[in-house]
Amino acid sequence: MKLQVVGCSHHQSSVSIRERLSFTEQQIGPFLDLFYAQFPDSEAVLLSTCNRTEFYAASRHPKKIPSEQEMIDFLARQRGLTSSEIHADLYVHTNQRAIQHLFAVAASLDSMVIGEAQILSQVKRAYQLAVETNQTIPLTHQVFQSAIRVARRISNETDIHANRVSVPSVAIGVLAKQIFERLDNKRVLIIGAGDMAEETLNYVLAEGGRDIVITNRTLSKAETLAEKFNGRVAPWSELQSELAAADLIVSTTGATEPIVNLQMFEQADKVRNQKPVLILDLAIPRDFAKEIGDYLNVYLYTLDDLQQECDRNRQSRETHYPKARKIIDQETNRFLIDIRRRSSGPTIAQLKRQADEVKSAEFSRLMNRLGDIDPEQRLEIEQSFNRVVNKILHPPLKSVQSDISTETHHGLLDALKKLFQLGE
Amino acid sequence: MDWLDDISITCFTASYLVVFALEISRIFFDVGLRKFVRVGLGAAGLLAHTAFLFMQGKLELDSGGIWLGSWFGWCLAAAWILAAAYLWVSIRQSKSVIGLFLLPVVLVLIGVGLQLGVENQFSVGRAKSIWNMVHGFALLVGTAIVALGFVFGVVYLVQANRLKKKIHQSKHFRLPSLEWLQRSCELSLVTSTLLLAVGLISGIAINLINQVGEVDQMSEGTIAWTDPVVWSSAILFVWLLVVSIFNTFYQPSRRGRKVAYLVVTSFLFLVLELCIVWWVGHAVTKPPVENVSLSQPMSRGLDAVPPFTIVASRQQNFIDEFQGDEIMGQLEARIINVAGEVRS
Repeated sequence: MKLQVVGCSHHQSSVSIRERLSFTEQQIGPFLDLFYAQFPDSEAVLLSTCNRTEFYAASRHPKKIPSEQEMIDFLARQRGLTSSEIHADLYVHTNQRAIQHLFAVAASLDSMVIGEAQILSQVKRAYQLAVETNQTIPLTHQVFQSAIRVARRISNETDIHANRVSVPSVAIGVLAKQIFERLDNKRVLIIGAGDMAEETLNYVLAEGGRDIVITNRTLSKAETLAEKFNGRVAPWSELQSELAAADLIVSTTGATEPIVNLQMFEQADKVRNQKPVLILDLAIPRDFAKEIGDYLNVYLYTLDDLQQECDRNRQSRETHYPKARKIIDQETNRFLIDIRRRSSGPTIAQLKRQADEVKSAEFSRLMNRLGDIDPEQRLEIEQSFNRVVNKILHPPLKSVQSDISTETHHGLLDALKKLFQLGE
Repeated sequence: MDWLDDISITCFTASYLVVFALEISRIFFDVGLRKFVRVGLGAAGLLAHTAFLFMQGKLELDSGGIWLGSWFGWCLAAAWILAAAYLWVSIRQSKSVIGLFLLPVVLVLIGVGLQLGVENQFSVGRAKSIWNMVHGFALLVGTAIVALGFVFGVVYLVQANRLKKKIHQSKHFRLPSLEWLQRSCELSLVTSTLLLAVGLISGIAINLINQVGEVDQMSEGTIAWTDPVVWSSAILFVWLLVVSIFNTFYQPSRRGRKVAYLVVTSFLFLVLELCIVWWVGHAVTKPPVENVSLSQPMSRGLDAVPPFTIVASRQQNFIDEFQGDEIMGQLEARIINVAGEVRS
């Protein structure tokens, strides 16, 4: 068996190259169809995310798998590029390194943010799309199922996924939960309608937030966002009253001066009745005056405060990296041994069958020559023949078994085939 | 069911101590199965605690006494309520280390019970009426809930202070959300006020009944309205009532730190009240026989407490039933015999 991967990722490729080599889900099916038309004896999976595009190919017969250059050419052609344009941005891994790489990718050890959970579902989806195109891909099935199992093992045995590392996820998934037991009965006020607001709203929704109010200087942007997240739009002029009513405030405007000063908050605070409020000021420069954090039951967190938490969590994840890497090495070895055992199975069976045939022929010939003999003697002779065959086969088979964990295993199998003249 | 007789205070106190040690260890390191061991040991401790209270009560009732008829039993019952609350919280809020705050209160109550209890038997005659049972039960549960509210209040203040100062929350020292703690504080405040109201009203009723039936033998122990226990209880109740009304009608008071401060203050009032109750010897009868030293059980360890409590309970029953000097003389001799048996 041979497995090969050609790909690019955020590690060494620029965004522009990654964009040019990326595929949508709809494009993956036709890509694989063309591949099978050209390389019918191989299996293929294409993984395409915003941070990486990886093209896996596998074949039971190492000589029938497309070469490294053929894979690069094929990939480039499908994107309307030439090999020379992308060659420098690509990496190629074969066999053991390819397996290790896939395991690391699925376990998110190779991700931009180590431990992010999304990549595993993307790997699963890539495999699913490959199966939809070609249902007979036993080799890639083995590799991808193992990769998914390894990712789960790493998730269970290490804390690599334990802490959140993006600002909105820390803000909503960690900090807000320390103040509020649930978000479905809380008023969430979003000030601003940019990317950060949108990303934060994803987490608000995931945590059960339902009562969402969006306010923005440009009302149309707020309306678009409100429509997407099933929220309500409040005019900018009503900001003060919305401040008083909100339990969780997320501010993400690009204003150059604070939009909520002490005076404005003082007015809102009178109506607020000291209700606990979490203010997530994710804007640079800040949208809320610093002194607002001194009010009773007001918890004001800025981007810097949250960034510190994210950095701490990122460092915490990195401490689990060596343990995760060790699991990948263990699992790769286990996988390779399993593959070798399976691949040596037919050869061993064939050798035994061949020896058995020789033994049976010689035994029959001898019986014919001896004529009518005592059944006990016949049995004794047959057992003797069996012992001779087993004793002859035992040393080579033992060598094959003990050599199963080394890379020279395939050479030994080939030697066995040649020595005993076993067919393919 | 003989094995129930072997359950001692050491059994459940040791369980709680181990659970407390496990709670402390959570601050320092992670161990996969610790949660199950912690909850399992907590449940085992609570089971042993329940069995102990059951057997203690049964023995006391058999000997003509009353269930939980001493400060010892009373403190143990309050500790049981808090231990049950710990178990509930550790299942509901499994990631939080609230046990670090709750278990010391449980252990302190057991310790206080051991220190106070043996020599402070409740008067049997007084405790046998329905009013007295309601009085005792309401005050017991009310006290335990005030203590529980105190723990929630303290945890709230710790959590609020941490969030205000933006101190990183270690994964080894997680506390419940402010909203949950605030709701728990409010609930404990309202519940304890209601229970203490029942306790106070039943106490007043007992006193009035006793005053009306002065000639009746069962009416011993009538308390003067100027007794420190009466006015300190009244102050505690008025405080809780005012706090509850304030909490209901003035919105800011039930938000955030204020409700936490209120429950913590209520607990301090309660401690003061209990000190007064203990100091004046409210509802208890001291053993009259000097040569039977009931302070000795500690010399035989914690497990020696129940038999002596029974001796004290039996002794009190005899005293309630017979008043004559002659009988008292015989009684003294019997008590000395019983005490001798137990010692041997």
